[in-house]
Amino acid sequence: MTTVSITLQDWRAWHPGRAPHADSRLSVDPQPRGASVPAMLRRRLNASGRVVCDMLSELDPEARRVLIYASRHGDGDRTLEMLYALAEQEPLSPARFGMSVHNATLGVHSIASGNRHSLQAIAAGGAEVAALFSETRGYFAEGERDVIAVFSDAPVPERFAAHVTEPTELAVVALLLSASGGREIHTRPCDASQAGQARSPQPSDLIAWLLDEAPLVCPSRRLTWTLSP
Amino acid sequence: MTNALETELKQLIIDTLELEDVTPEDIDPDEPLFVEGLGLDSIDALELGLALQKTYGIKLEADSEETRRHFANLKSLAALVEARRVK
Repeated sequence: MTTVSITLQDWRAWHPGRAPHADSRLSVDPQPRGASVPAMLRRRLNASGRVVCDMLSELDPEARRVLIYASRHGDGDRTLEMLYALAEQEPLSPARFGMSVHNATLGVHSIASGNRHSLQAIAAGGAEVAALFSETRGYFAEGERDVIAVFSDAPVPERFAAHVTEPTELAVVALLLSASGGREIHTRPCDASQAGQARSPQPSDLIAWLLDEAPLVCPSRRLTWTLSP
Repeated sequence: MTNALETELKQLIIDTLELEDVTPEDIDPDEPLFVEGLGLDSIDALELGLALQKTYGIKLEADSEETRRHFANLKSLAALVEARRVK
């Protein structure tokens, strides 16, 4: 299917809705600390943002890797709060505005860690996993040896919950991916019945796949991924 | 009562700027609020300007030298609020 291979070197995951798991790479802590970020920067991060920064600090302690961040919905809470303020003709909060943009968490991390490499933020309408692997291949084709792919999402704000067909779980996962040397990730087309049964993959689905609990399928791209032992 | 106003402003700064682990006692009225001292940044300055507008009805020019002077430390901020508050 492709000439550029991707291998998994390491990962971290956070899924506070899950029961505790024996694998120490998965945290279910409901109140993540964000200890890798100084307090004056940390105060602007929500729980997911704190988790992302701590994962990046563990997987890339020297802050020398390319980072790709994906989220289907981004920070819906902050964005909606701003829209409510605008509707009521109130002035916008500059801090809230600054942190509502899609690359805000990586921006805070880059300030805290001094990472000046490429930082990319994407949303792909439910095909974030496919997009992350596709972008990763692009970096490898350009000569990067490894990248970190982050996938983060949260439930949409309550007022919009009725408009969403697939409720989103609060979870974050970070993959340290290399061009070679780790467990190979194989991409294959999936058949119509597999695609018909699957929902758009969320971070929680990627975590289940990493733990070998469930397959990983992207119905809109008709793709599935398997991990070498 | 300047001291009561200073205490009120300390709490306003902590709440508005979501300063974790900072108590009113940590804010020295004579120390700089921005960069040094408390270590606030430019987004905090905009946020604080907005809070002053909402709480006391004070409108400030974001870029002016005068605003810089008012924001120098807690004492100068309290003096501004005392002189210009409309609510």
